[in-house]
Order: sequence, then C-alpha cells, then structure tokens
Amino acid sequence: MPDIEPFSPRGMFHKGWTAEVSDYAIACGWALKGKQFIVGDVAGGIFAFEGDTGKIIWEKENTHSGGLLAMAIHPEGEIFATSGQDGNVQICNCHEGKVIKTLDLGKGWVEHLKWSNDGLFLAIASSKKVYVFNEIGEEKWISEDHPSTVSAITWSNKNELATACYGRVTFFDIVNNKTNQKLEWQGSLVSMELSPDGDIVACGSQDNSVHFWRRSTGMDAEMTGYPGKPSHLSFDDSGKLLATSGSERITVWSFIGNGPEGTMPGELCHHTEPISSLAFSNKGMLVASGSRDGSVVASFLKNDGNGDPVGAAFAGDLVGAISWRPDDCALAAVNAKGVVNVWKFKVRTNLFSKGFK
Amino acid sequence: MSIKDKVPVTILTGFLGSGKTTLLNRILSEEHGKRIAVIENEYGEVGIDQGLVINADEEVFEMSNGCICCTVRGDLIRVLGNLMKRRDKFDYVLVETTGLADPGPVAQTFFMDEEISSEFTLDGIVTLVDAAHIDQQLGRSDESSEQVAFADVLVLNKTDLVSDDALNTLESRLRDMNRMTRIIRAENAKVPIETVLNLSAFDLDQILKRRPTFLEPEYPFEWTGVYDLDAGKYELMLEEGPDPEMSLVALVNQGESEEELKDGAESSVRLYAEKANTLEPGKTIPYGEHINLKLDDKGNKSFILNIEKPTKIGLFTQHTAEEFNMKVIKSVENKEIPFNTERFWQAEHEHDDEVGSIAIERFGDVDPEKLNTWMGRLLSEKGVDIFRTKGFISYSGNPRRIVFQGVHMLFTAQPDKEWGNEPRRNQLVFIGRNLNEKEMQEGFDKCLI
Repeated sequence: MPDIEPFSPRGMFHKGWTAEVSDYAIACGWALKGKQFIVGDVAGGIFAFEGDTGKIIWEKENTHSGGLLAMAIHPEGEIFATSGQDGNVQICNCHEGKVIKTLDLGKGWVEHLKWSNDGLFLAIASSKKVYVFNEIGEEKWISEDHPSTVSAITWSNKNELATACYGRVTFFDIVNNKTNQKLEWQGSLVSMELSPDGDIVACGSQDNSVHFWRRSTGMDAEMTGYPGKPSHLSFDDSGKLLATSGSERITVWSFIGNGPEGTMPGELCHHTEPISSLAFSNKGMLVASGSRDGSVVASFLKNDGNGDPVGAAFAGDLVGAISWRPDDCALAAVNAKGVVNVWKFKVRTNLFSKGFK
Repeated sequence: MSIKDKVPVTILTGFLGSGKTTLLNRILSEEHGKRIAVIENEYGEVGIDQGLVINADEEVFEMSNGCICCTVRGDLIRVLGNLMKRRDKFDYVLVETTGLADPGPVAQTFFMDEEISSEFTLDGIVTLVDAAHIDQQLGRSDESSEQVAFADVLVLNKTDLVSDDALNTLESRLRDMNRMTRIIRAENAKVPIETVLNLSAFDLDQILKRRPTFLEPEYPFEWTGVYDLDAGKYELMLEEGPDPEMSLVALVNQGESEEELKDGAESSVRLYAEKANTLEPGKTIPYGEHINLKLDDKGNKSFILNIEKPTKIGLFTQHTAEEFNMKVIKSVENKEIPFNTERFWQAEHEHDDEVGSIAIERFGDVDPEKLNTWMGRLLSEKGVDIFRTKGFISYSGNPRRIVFQGVHMLFTAQPDKEWGNEPRRNQLVFIGRNLNEKEMQEGFDKCLI
C-alpha cells in the first residue's frame, strides 16, 4: 500500500518544527494570527519564528538587563510587550521586533504583563504596584501600593482589572479609578484565573489549596489537599472546567450544575514529575500540560473533568511554557534548554476536520 | 535530584551594624572560584561589591491555618524561583536578611515549598553579633535572641572593641542560649570562609560524620597558656592555691589563633574525659595526657617540662594560672618565660536569658511509640517556643541510629549508621524560649526502656 503515509507515533501530535533559542525559554506566544511564533528566554533573548516552518524571522539579545520576566502578545497580534528585572517594559512591533516604546517603572522587577481582551490596555505589575498603559505606551492608571508584591493580574472585563497578592484579590475600575471589590483570604495567593465571564475567581495558594469566589453571589470555597502549591490554573473557553495543578497530577474542577463544591474533581495522571505549564485550547475541552520531565500531553476532557490523553510528546527538558496556536491546529512547547517544539495538532470539530493541509 | 545537585543557600542574619555586609563582601572577594548570587533584604550604606545581587523586600507570609511552621518568606520563593532558571550563572546563594528578620520563616521556606526545596538546600544560618552591643540587644529584642538561637555559626564580631574578659562572659552567655552553634571570634568580620560556607548544617549525616556530637563542649578547664619554648628543660612552678590538686593537659605544637585554640580545647576536652593520672612534684609532665598535679605539700611545687626541639606548648589547666601564681621557668638560667597568649574558658554560668538550650543525654534504648507520643505532644504544645531541635536516638530493636532535626514544628527523622559495638545512647538538643528542662528530661526518661 504505497499511498498510505505512515504516522509518526505521537497520537494527535504530528511533526511540525523545532528551533533553538539562547537560554532557558520562559515565555512564548503566537502573533500575526498564528503566522509568527515568539519566544523569550530568561536572559532576555527574544526570537520570532515563522509559524509554519520555524524559520527565524528576527532575534535580539539582552533586551532586559538582569533578565526577562514576562512577555505578552497583543490580542491583535501586531505588537507585544516584554518586561524584566531592569524595571522596564518594552512595547515592540512583531514584524521586525523593533522597540516602539520603553516604559521605565523604576527599580523593582516587572513580573506580570496582561493585555486587556480588546487590546486597548496593557496592565503591568511591578513589586507592590500595578500600572495600566495604553497601546502606545501612555500611562492611564496606577494603583496604590498593595500589601505585598502583586503575584498575578488579569482583566475581568474591558475596564476592570483583577490583582492578586498576599491576602486578597482586588478588582479595580481603572477608567474611573475605583475599587470595585475586595475578596480577602489570609494566605499567599500565587496564581489567579478568571472564568471567561469574569464571575468565578480562582486562586492557587501557597498553603496547597485553591480558593474560589463567585463574584455574583459572594460565595467562596476552598479546595484543599493539593500535594504542592497550585501554581498552574487554566479555564476552558466556556468556563465549565478549571484545570489546576501543583504536582504531577492535574485536578479538574467542573462548574456544571452545583459544582465544584461537594463534587469529585477529575484527575489526570499522565506525568511522572510536577506540571510546569498548563493551557486549555482556545476553543473546546482540550487541555495541554507540560511537565518538569519534558513530557507534553494533550487530554480531551468530559463535563465531569475526567478525560483521556489524546496525544503525547517529549519536549526534551522541563517545559517552560506551552501555547496553542489561535486556530488550535498547532501546539508549541518551549523548554529549559532553549529548545522550541511545535507540533501540528489534529482537531475534530462539528464542521470539519482541521489540521492537515 | 540528589542533595549534591542542589544549590546551597547560606543565610546571614544579625542586627544592623553587626557586620553582615562586611562579611558578605569578604566572601565575595575571597571566593573567586565560586559564582555567588546574593539576595539582599537590607540596603545598608555599604554597597555590595560584585556578583549577582538582587534586592528584595522581606515578605513574611502566614497561612490561613495560623500555623507558624507554615509561615514562609514570599520574597525568597519569588527570587529563588527565578534564580533556579539561571542555574548556569551561579553555584551558591547568600541571603542577607534584615536585622529584624525572624529566621524561622526563612528556614521553613526551604522545607515547606516543594519548588524551592527541589532545587535549593539550606546550608546553614550564620548570625553575626556585635560584641560591643549584643548584650543590650539581647535584653531588648526578641529578634536578636532568636537569631542567636537559630544560628549554626555565630560570628562574634568586633572583638577588638571589647575586653577579653567581657568576650569570655559574652561567649558563655551565647553558648548557654545555643549549645549547638559554633562560635567564631572576629575583628571586622574576618573569618575563614570555610567556617561559614558549605556547612551542610541541615544534612545530619554530614554533621555527625565530622563531629560525633551536636553539642559544643562545655570546657572542663578554665585557662590556657601558650608558651614559645626552645629546646631544654623547664619547670612548671606553682605556689599554694585554693585547691590541693589541679588537673591539666599539655599539648605540643599549640597554635595561638582563636581557631587553633579552639581545636586544642576540643582535643583537651576529649583527653579530660579520661581519668587523670596523678603526678607527684618533681616528675615530668607527659604531653597529650590528662594528669593531676599533686599540690598538697606546703610551699612551691615544681613539675618538669622537657622540650626536645623548639615548639609552642599549650597548657590547658583546670584552674587559672593566677590562682596558683603558676610560672614556667627555664631551669638552667632560672628565668621566667611568660606565656605568649592566654585564653580563659568559662565553665560556670548563671544567665537568665529566656532563650536557652536544653540537652538530654541518656544511655539505653527508647520505645519508639512512647517517644513519638511525647515528641508529638511537646512540639504541638511548645512548637512555637522551640526554635531548633537536633539529636540522635536509639530505638529498641533497630540496628541503626535514628537522627532527627526540626525547625519549630517541622520535624524530620531518618535512619543513620548502624550502632555496631558502640554503646546505645541518645542525645537531644532543644533550643527555645522558656523551656522547662526538668519537665522535658522527665518526659524523655519515661520513653526509655
């Protein structure tokens, strides 16, 4: 049967491309609607590759003295922002990597960057303060000092920003400079995700628990029993499932019906070492996970949070970050040795089967 | 990942002005071979010369359960979490805390956070004290006594500003508070680097291999004199004193530095543990032996010291030289040879610090179940006040020695080497605040079989 093409033995991961950057890769993302893939390494090297082939388009080193801490690609995909230990944020053009604007925020590390969904604002966390700038780098808002270093930021709607730190989550209306809501909890919140509708707030806590709040009802709940601190959280696009992990296990809470309080979560036990990155696909119930042992697994989940692996691959070393292409037809993983792996991914939808050209 | 692959972290604590930054700079300038990352909580007037330096404000994170042993340092988790991605850039980490830092959460961070403990190992806690001011500081603040209590090494700094007498008194006060710590005297934070780095102070196997006990010795002698002597015959002359006898150990090749004196003292402690041989006046003093000078005759008594080739003789005497007006006289010329160096060791101590050490040493086996119950109860009731615990235990029926250590309520125990022919015994050391020695000893005794 000469016309049958052999599949590489990788389940639904198919051969894509690999490339290398200079140091431990900590951040990555797709730009220009999936035509470009940008990787940032811990030393401050930024590299842009062709999304389909992995051919290098541009690269630059030492963008932040002391090292890179965060990178965020604008939702339109034409510009991106980076930040580092030098206290600076750079807004750059994706096509050539040119710096459009440098924001100097002082001495503290700039650890978190988030573009609002409509792309009008860039939120920046540095030490105890959070800043909001617009796309062209004009300052729009600055928070007061938080009680501790801000550990996570995320947009709840186009004008409302959520921040997490030791002891609380705060919602700020950044246009009217108002504090909309404060959710308090005595514990060190190390991660935060919001459901797509902004109602459910989930935070991983240093004491090995996940704390939820429902903003509409004010109800909160604590999910304990994690073997490690749940640094990795991801909601699916419908807000039904929340994948969480602080160990080699992924625990998936289902918000369908009265859950997750009082329900048994789904458990995914596909890795042998703790999870180092976790991301739901842009659409649908696929969750991809990368581990310290270099394994990358995609699992297809059911409504109760349980599921089966549909594909697995080896990324070579600790997975620093993973990213689904906007059309979910490719998955990228970057590792601690600076290796970039991009696999094509076959997705079945109601309409047609994608992933092969 | 084995402990060998983990990056060692040394914590430097001490009040403002105790010399932390001076020591830090000394380490950085002397350890050229090592690439050291520095996390600095205190931005003093003295800058740090070189190296990968990260400033971070101290952030103490308590947990919702209110358990103090879960309290960690958020700044260290954040900074070390980033540093672990730059493993190729450094192979040692020094953390300089503020003068007011509580060392508990710092130490607990390395045990409570999985991500940190998988990449880093707490090598030791080094506390600097300003010899001129620590007496007052200990009276005024809990932090300074806690920093002393947590220390694996205490650097008694600025000794040039204080008299020897005061130093000896101070050292014995600190020793009482923390009987596990090593005390090193220094001027201008000048200490041998190997006494503060790579201690593996939390690696019990390592410690017990180097030293058979967790307890620093209490000296059975009060005085040491080091004499620089040419070859020839000498007399050790003593007048009548308060006691009819005095025991001593004489060591050849005795150095004069504080470190060498401590080494000599340590050897002498071991020799003192042996029964002393009585020596009549007129006899020759043997070297490296515990002897008892017989002094009940009236008038001056002389003992002989024979020196074959020039050397420095260290005399470790039960009482001070002054009490007997003890002199070394070169026989032929009848000339007194003064000592080059003297060092007093204070044996008696009555201090009323709240923070102190309790040591329990007992021969025999313990019942594992009873010990667990007792220890569990002790730590749950007194864990807040017990800063550090170390020890080894002989479980009945277990051929291996069990070693354990704890920081507040965090506690680990592991089997160590086989006992073999060694007599079965137990040693427990607790450092804490307002601990009741009698009650704890009685509690432990009930666990013995």
